[in-house]
Amino acid sequence: MTDTATLTEERVAAPARRRSFGISPTALAQLAFILALLGLWELASRTLFNPFWSSRPSLIAVRLWELAVSGELWVHTSTTVQEAAAGLLLAALVGIPLGIVLARAPRVARTVDPVVMGLYGLPRVALAPLFILWFGIGLLSKVMMAFTMVVFIFLLNVMEGVRTIDPDHLDLMKSMRAGRFYLIRRVLLPAVVPWIVASFRIGVGLALIGAVVGELIGANRGLGWYVESSGGQLDTTGVFTGLTVLMVLAMLANQLIGFIERRLVTWR
Amino acid sequence: MALTATLAAVPPLEATPAPARVRAELRDLKISFPRPDLPPLEVISGISMSVGEGEFVAVVGPSGSGKSTILRALCGLLKPSGGRVMVDGRDVTAPPPGVGFMFQKDALLPWRTVSGNIAVGAELGGTPAAERPERIAALIRLLRLDGFEDAWPRQLSGGMRQRVSLGRLLAYQPSLMLMDEPFGALDYQTKIAMGLELLRVWEAERRSIIFVTHDIEEAVALADRVVVFSARPARIVADYKVTLPRPRHMRSMRSDPAFTRLTEAIWSDLALPD
Repeated sequence: MTDTATLTEERVAAPARRRSFGISPTALAQLAFILALLGLWELASRTLFNPFWSSRPSLIAVRLWELAVSGELWVHTSTTVQEAAAGLLLAALVGIPLGIVLARAPRVARTVDPVVMGLYGLPRVALAPLFILWFGIGLLSKVMMAFTMVVFIFLLNVMEGVRTIDPDHLDLMKSMRAGRFYLIRRVLLPAVVPWIVASFRIGVGLALIGAVVGELIGANRGLGWYVESSGGQLDTTGVFTGLTVLMVLAMLANQLIGFIERRLVTWR
Repeated sequence: MALTATLAAVPPLEATPAPARVRAELRDLKISFPRPDLPPLEVISGISMSVGEGEFVAVVGPSGSGKSTILRALCGLLKPSGGRVMVDGRDVTAPPPGVGFMFQKDALLPWRTVSGNIAVGAELGGTPAAERPERIAALIRLLRLDGFEDAWPRQLSGGMRQRVSLGRLLAYQPSLMLMDEPFGALDYQTKIAMGLELLRVWEAERRSIIFVTHDIEEAVALADRVVVFSARPARIVADYKVTLPRPRHMRSMRSDPAFTRLTEAIWSDLALPD
């Protein structure tokens, strides 16, 4: 009887993950979709309307090439990436520990909750002029913009992550007389990692928004500045070129985080 | 021999001969939970019982009768409102050493593999790092988890997860095992198989076990003693010695008149409908 029961159970084998080398059908479909959109845009701007209003892919490609050759592309892109990345990391550095602390101190969390949610709901874009005033038109004001956009994401996600830890896990560890260090390292951190990764995923786009908004208000370089100054000269190709680079950056960052997630969270 | 096995229904405590060495003891235990805007909910109203060295005691009772609560009190997760909770002669104020708890839910860490989860018990039970791999491998063989060492909990069936949970408990090397309906969520067949595995392990190295269940037959089939709790607030209704011979054989035991008489006696103690 024992044997029958165990044998039937053990049929539930772990499915071997299929790995395909080369380009997956999904990636091909995604690429085809992008090309189709670009083709449609190109066609429409040649037949339906004046490219002055929305430029056209071929013009953007030429501009990209010019900017790359002159080195301007690198200057603007690296500026914006630095601002967004620094803001994102700073937000993680502040938001993660704060989230853990607040989740473990519910009374403090309840006390600060209205203020935190108020700040979270505040359109932080409106803070940009103030930040330029406080932190100057250099890197710092944009880093702080990106930071304020993202820090709440880390804070709220990590709090939720800690709160959703299975109380049975904690009781089990307590019953086996686990120390605080063991609890943090073996239960708390692994439980929170997926929430941190998710925060990074959401945070990348928001950090870019923060950096760009900062650049729109006051800067002398960066992709946001390039978009703004092109717009001022009625250069729609310039605007779209800046936007294209920003889009590509967001897509690349998303891919990178997806890659890290698969490495870090293998157990899901 | 098995057919003539007698069962003695004994009133709580007094008539139970004191076992060689008392491992766990409850003296007039009272537990109630505070409720907002209501009088406190009395869950346990004065329970006294003790569990001896190497003894396998099952606790049965209706659901919500506070069976699990006494286990939580015994391993220091819950403070009693009155009376005393003692393990190895000392009052329990924090989780005592050598006491292992197995929950109804398997409570496996989803980010650890099968052997990683069993390792938790070895790590916290103080097995030296050098001896852990061997010890874990032995438990994996004992619990027939071979080939699944590196599987994630999400890939396992309910029965296998519960065996990993048992493996973690055994890796902790507790001398007193508190088991809270550990097989309650399993299907009938798996439940019986798990019960037999537990008996096999227990017969090899006699540890004290307090096994909480709502399944009367499971209690009688496994334990040396069955303590019957009333509905909330819990009191002890009866305390039976199970004299069925060991090792126990599920199939022949089920037709043993002693088995049937005992389950029927408990059935009527619990005032279950006919």
